[in-house]
Amino acid sequence: MTIGIPQALIYWKQPNFWEVFFKELGFKVLLSPKTNKEIVEQGVKVSDPENCFSNKVYWGHLLWLDGKCDYIFVPRLKANKEKLEYCPKFFGLPDLSKILVKTPILTETFDPRKEKTEKTFKKLGKKLKKDSGQVKKALETALLKEKELKAREVREFFEKIDSEKPKIILVSHPYNLCDEYVNLRMKDVLEKLGAEPIFIDEVPVSQPSTAESPGGARGEKKAGPSLIINYQSPIKFHWEFGKEIMEKIQEVLKYKISGVIEISSFACGCDAVIKEFVAEEFKKNKIPFLYLIIDEHTGEAGFQTRLEAFMDTLK
Amino acid sequence: MTKNQNPKPVVTFARWGNYTVAFRILLEQLGLEVIPPEKTNSQAISEGSRMAPEMFCFPMKVTLGNYLPALKKGANTIFMVQNVGGSCRQRYYGAIQEKVLKEGGYRINFLDFKATPIDIYRTIRDISGASFWQIMKAIIFFFKKLKMIEKIEKTAQYYRPREIERGATDRLLADVFLKLEEINKTKDFSIFKKETFRKLKKIKIENKKKLPKVGLIGEIYTVCDSTINFEVEKKLGLEEIEVYREMDITYHLKKLIFPWKDRTIQRKINPYLRSTVGGHGRDAIYEMLHYIKKDFDGIIHLLPFQCMPEVTVRPILEKLHQESGIPFLSLSLDEQVAEAGINTRLEAFIDVVKNHYHNKKPLKNYKNE
Repeated sequence: MTIGIPQALIYWKQPNFWEVFFKELGFKVLLSPKTNKEIVEQGVKVSDPENCFSNKVYWGHLLWLDGKCDYIFVPRLKANKEKLEYCPKFFGLPDLSKILVKTPILTETFDPRKEKTEKTFKKLGKKLKKDSGQVKKALETALLKEKELKAREVREFFEKIDSEKPKIILVSHPYNLCDEYVNLRMKDVLEKLGAEPIFIDEVPVSQPSTAESPGGARGEKKAGPSLIINYQSPIKFHWEFGKEIMEKIQEVLKYKISGVIEISSFACGCDAVIKEFVAEEFKKNKIPFLYLIIDEHTGEAGFQTRLEAFMDTLK
Repeated sequence: MTKNQNPKPVVTFARWGNYTVAFRILLEQLGLEVIPPEKTNSQAISEGSRMAPEMFCFPMKVTLGNYLPALKKGANTIFMVQNVGGSCRQRYYGAIQEKVLKEGGYRINFLDFKATPIDIYRTIRDISGASFWQIMKAIIFFFKKLKMIEKIEKTAQYYRPREIERGATDRLLADVFLKLEEINKTKDFSIFKKETFRKLKKIKIENKKKLPKVGLIGEIYTVCDSTINFEVEKKLGLEEIEVYREMDITYHLKKLIFPWKDRTIQRKINPYLRSTVGGHGRDAIYEMLHYIKKDFDGIIHLLPFQCMPEVTVRPILEKLHQESGIPFLSLSLDEQVAEAGINTRLEAFIDVVKNHYHNKKPLKNYKNE
């Protein structure tokens, strides 16, 4: 039996996790390909015109999978482990997917506020006719793999922080950052312009004190950190990504960074709120900040110009 | 702009259609000095959207625009409720408005409270210093007024398409809302209420007229505030279409007080959506199902542009529309929308509704015979 996973939106919240989980349970996994023009066009065609760009891309991936597998896996993510909510648009994904495609949708509601995550996984296993022991084992393997990737990310982060190039922090949701087509290969463009782009989700939050990690000196500490240490966020987000981004910004401000680019997909309601506070944070610390909105009409040339101009301001 | 440090709070609050009157009286009865927010007009909308973050939803921009004139007149305290639960952006209206206004140079005290009875009570007590009984009295009077406003609105929906003299209902309504603002005593109020409904009954209508029915669903603010939705209710009424709308403050408060209402709604919409999507997303589906069952002739879905819950449920509403064949019109409202555009779409929709109504009529007669 083949389970299809659209490689967009919620996939990037836990990349590889679901893949490993289902493979471990003995299923074939079919990932939709990397986003391309055709997928975006398909998605835009079927989507509600006011839906956010990331959602439109998701529909495109879903349609690509339609008919190619036995099940399409669309989890209903409601809250994370810290009981903070995901974007409300994720809540309706399985229901809206059912309208769009003919392939049956495999779904389960993940809401630790109401039900323990282990139990949810057990229920998911039951739907696939797997007993709880198998599910538990698969879950452990998947989590282990995820941890491994996280550790590698952290290592890479410190390598990047140590580099001589001007460091640019890219602030956005993982589904905008990891999808190269969606963000118009911004990482490559910035690298060509001589910068070192760092994704905000690569920033480790609760890492042990910097002296412990190998290599000794970890980037130059910013002058006047007293401002940051006694910092209290002006707002408490009930969105997991809101809290995460704000926390990581505090962390990243400890290092010397040259500039920040925030990317948000057009019509993203949550970003309208978060952007205000993100921008304020960097303005307060006098770090150049660029806000870019992406959608299906964004041209690469226009993007390039703005990035070049931004890089020039840093010099 | 209030430059002087005034210790006495002068209160303004978020405007909300005809209900503004009730909110104002509530605050006044607590012994607070109130400067009511400005009526929503094009200036308020454009000023609000200039200050607000670009991608934010429309009601926030409008309410922000409504504060500004009141702030210029000397108000220094703003009331804002985090009312709609779930994951909707309404939760952050207060935070963003406070931030934007303070950046704009206004010195204000922003009271952003959650819509739980305890939180409301505490905030009111702290700001006004009123006693428990005074607060209770004011709240009871507030509900009385609210109920009357909603009843008048509902009656008008019935009267408007049936009146013999065009516009008589709306003239009376305008008069009533104007007078209602001045009444702040329980005794005066009951006399006024009786008088109003007597006057309403005097309007000549064709009582037995059968009319096509249209249900209004969608986001609560746009549905309830006639200045935002370009008076959709009135326009449809004058075209001899009876408008129904379930969404109002009482409905919303009932849901807050009796949480099992949510569960009933969830049960009804289970085949279509198995989760909340924030705001009143579920209610839109529930109401639409209800109207289809009641054999309505059209549904109008109103939402602020990019409203997250309503946009999420819209594909489901469209599916319902395709399944049942009921005419469906979805109107997104924001500062860019012009009345002419809405009018054109409404006119076309009215034709569709009337067609739908006349086409199904013979079938019904056939059944009856």
